[in-house]
Amino acid sequence: MSSDHLAHQHHTTGAAFGIGTFTCVRCGLTVSAKSADGTRRNHCPSCLHSRHVLDQIEGGPSECGARMSPIAIAVLRTGDWTLVHRCVRCGELSSDPVCGDDNQLMLMRMAVRPLADPPFPLEAFGSL
Amino acid sequence: MPRRTRREQHRRNQRHKDVLHTAGRHRAHDFRCVGCRLDVSLVAPGTAHRNHCPNCLTSLHVDHRIPGDRAAGCGGRMEPLGLTVRTDGEWMLIHQCLTCARLSANRIAGDDNALALVRLALRPLQDRRVASSALLSMP
Ligand SMILES: [Zn+2]
Ligand SMILES: [Zn+2]
Ligand SMILES: [Zn+2]
Ligand SMILES: [Zn+2]
Repeated sequence: MSSDHLAHQHHTTGAAFGIGTFTCVRCGLTVSAKSADGTRRNHCPSCLHSRHVLDQIEGGPSECGARMSPIAIAVLRTGDWTLVHRCVRCGELSSDPVCGDDNQLMLMRMAVRPLADPPFPLEAFGSL
Repeated sequence: MPRRTRREQHRRNQRHKDVLHTAGRHRAHDFRCVGCRLDVSLVAPGTAHRNHCPNCLTSLHVDHRIPGDRAAGCGGRMEPLGLTVRTDGEWMLIHQCLTCARLSANRIAGDDNALALVRLALRPLQDRRVASSALLSMP
């Protein structure tokens, strides 16, 4: 693990691991790792970006540490919304639950994005 | 359904693979979809290899870190979770494994079920809670 990685690690202020604050690598916002609804958050509520700190394939910490950009909104079978992130360096994907205090306008913008540029004419579907 | 032509399409044509197109040979590479039982040919218009069912969009968890490496020991069923748009405008399907929750992003093929794709694209917008809270928070 590089010293650069350690320097940018989420710094914890709480006693429990992972609860505290982190600085958004994209917009610089200081973010509480606990969302308003009490769940653990991994992404910035303002710009929705995250950081590649967990290895999604093997589990455990990842040495990548690069920025992860939000690429999709998805609805889970439970009906909950999840945010899919993709690492800008290594391409790994992760899924992170949408929090109640996430930027709703950004979420909506992502949700309508595919429909704004469809690979086929949507008019063909008429009354969907 | 005809696809819109994109500027960069010529750059991303399907790579030619002799073995898959040899008469009588390619059938050994076909698969039966675990979602809808359709017999699917691996030859797909617009992509180098097909990794999901063109009818129901279901896939199988066979790849590990690199697409096409077929090194995953999981073998679970991967369901379409959502869609993303690449910077060049192309739609990508995001699959999630029902067994291990692993995610993967895959190109759509020219003969993928357009209605299934549009339904997937509409799914987040059909959630009234989220749609209305987004409207309320607009300045
Ligand atoms: Zn941010
Ligand atoms: Zn990474
Ligand atoms: Zn199928
Ligand atoms: Zn799996």
